[in-house]
Amino acid sequence: MGVVLGYVATLGVYFCVYNIFAFGLNIQFGYAGILDFTVITFMAMGGYMAGVAALGPSQPGSGIYYILGLSLPWPVALLVGAAAAGALGYLVGLIALRRLRSDYLAIVTLAAGSIVLGIVSNSNSLFDGSEGLVGVPQPMNGVLKLTPNAYTVFFLGLCAVIMVICWLVANRIYRSPLGRTMRAIREDLDVAEAYGKRTFRIRMTAMVIGCVIVGIGGVLTIWFVTALAPAGWGTSETFVVWAALIVGGRGNNLGAVVGSFLVAVLFNEATRFIPAISSLPNLIPEVRNMSIGALVILTLWFRPQGVVAERKARFFEVPLRTGSLEPVPMVPAPATGSGAAQ
Amino acid sequence: MTLFWLTLGFGVVTGAVLSLAAVGLSLQFGVTNFVNFAYGAYLAFGMFFTYTGQVGLHLPLWLAVIFGVLATGVTSVVVDALILEPFVRRGTSGFFLLIITFGLSLVLLNLIQAIWGVGFDQFQISASNPVRLGPFSFTPAQLAIVGIAAATLVAVHLLLTRTTLGKSMRAMSDNAPLARATGIDTTRVTRWTWFLSGCLAGLGGVTLAFNTVEFQAFTGNTFLFVIFAAVILGGIGQIYGAMLGAVIIGLVVNFAGLVISSAYDLDAAFAVLVLVLLLRPQGIIPTLGKA
Repeated sequence: MGVVLGYVATLGVYFCVYNIFAFGLNIQFGYAGILDFTVITFMAMGGYMAGVAALGPSQPGSGIYYILGLSLPWPVALLVGAAAAGALGYLVGLIALRRLRSDYLAIVTLAAGSIVLGIVSNSNSLFDGSEGLVGVPQPMNGVLKLTPNAYTVFFLGLCAVIMVICWLVANRIYRSPLGRTMRAIREDLDVAEAYGKRTFRIRMTAMVIGCVIVGIGGVLTIWFVTALAPAGWGTSETFVVWAALIVGGRGNNLGAVVGSFLVAVLFNEATRFIPAISSLPNLIPEVRNMSIGALVILTLWFRPQGVVAERKARFFEVPLRTGSLEPVPMVPAPATGSGAAQ
Repeated sequence: MTLFWLTLGFGVVTGAVLSLAAVGLSLQFGVTNFVNFAYGAYLAFGMFFTYTGQVGLHLPLWLAVIFGVLATGVTSVVVDALILEPFVRRGTSGFFLLIITFGLSLVLLNLIQAIWGVGFDQFQISASNPVRLGPFSFTPAQLAIVGIAAATLVAVHLLLTRTTLGKSMRAMSDNAPLARATGIDTTRVTRWTWFLSGCLAGLGGVTLAFNTVEFQAFTGNTFLFVIFAAVILGGIGQIYGAMLGAVIIGLVVNFAGLVISSAYDLDAAFAVLVLVLLLRPQGIIPTLGKA
């Protein structure tokens, strides 16, 4: 019984953590239209910084080296992790958000992610290189003295509380004037700029808030696993979060929740429990990654808005008598005089 | 001083590898107007098709390279025709095409790993002594890389300036709707562009594998943002800019490896990328209406 409960609670924790990642990415991509192709780097930054803030000083004889080692209590470590992820997001945003083109932005985030991964893997003194941090203390584990399965259930409760807070914050932002401006920028940056919106600042706000939320998810991850190494946060992990948001429905947080459940829990985590074929140990992760990539492409083809579509605000529109502004279709459309579209 | 000349030589070799890959990426970007994030997988296809040609089919190396390059080009066309073209025809915005190619990179890289395995492979090249050319010193493989790159880039130049196909590509790159209006079969030109882009990626991958000796599925992908850096430095969509950017980035990467540490040499390419985006985001050769 305890094992089943522990298993369900483990999936529950992953569900909550991926929800938090998806909320963070949703603020960046779903609200403000920022293509952040390195979500997982901010998760790692949050996790690592919370880890070194909570761990004791690095022991010279142990062969494990890391910075700080402040032995801070866990709520402070959570704040340190979230702040570090936000700070990294600000730095990446400073470079990436200057340009209007979305492809530059995507390239810069991807490049920044691969640079951070390279630096963390190569530098042994930062977060113990490719070995990564181990033995990160879990919140209140020393006080509660629970069995591992019972602690997992307690931890699920903690994750659920933090997830609900993130959800409320993300929903509040969506309805606020700030969120409306973000969506206006997503739809048309030039129009938003023409209305006097400071698009760079607002996109930067979305970037940093998103990174902070993703960083909080990273702190929960390192608490749950008690370890984090560069092998655990590659590009394919970023794509799981993207897949969750695209499949569930971008731009609305209910969609993010549905997507996290479908992709991150049912699809991604559940397949981890399938026993590996001994002659082909990598086949299952490979097939899983291919399927997640294919899932996104198929979703964008058959249901581009996702399972739960964003409810767009509707306003009375004066019918325009001008031609369509849509990109010219590959097949030449018959000339119809005035455009009837919209 | 010897070290300086050696590093300069290696910089030119890296630049030659990069220029092949960068021209392929830039050419495709210019014509289709979206960045292909799956490009790293095409480099890997080049390496592994050539490997299969040499080890599986027992072809001589030069024939295996030709087989690998053409097979990568065909793969590139098939991927475009089956997946990307339907989205483009439907009018999917460039924004979502980026996500699709990003997803495609995950699919293709894992497919390569599933087919050819996770381990490191290397081509069977007979070991030979380095060749001294004045103050430089190259392995025969490195000389071959520079030779292949130079010949290929001249061929690309001739293709773009002397043939109808090349002129159509440049016309589409300037203004696709206008090119269509003048009667250019844009679907056909787009497919040829993907073929050429795939071939150049394959050749870039093979020369990269010659240069690094050992390679695996993700070798090309870790190189991807260095290729992006070269393309953006040269001006996105600019073929000649991409060649120039590639040589500059190649030199920067090698000298950074000499001055700082070889563990951080690729970070220097990122530093150049950041500086270019901050100081001259349109690149060395700007494209009107593209930046």
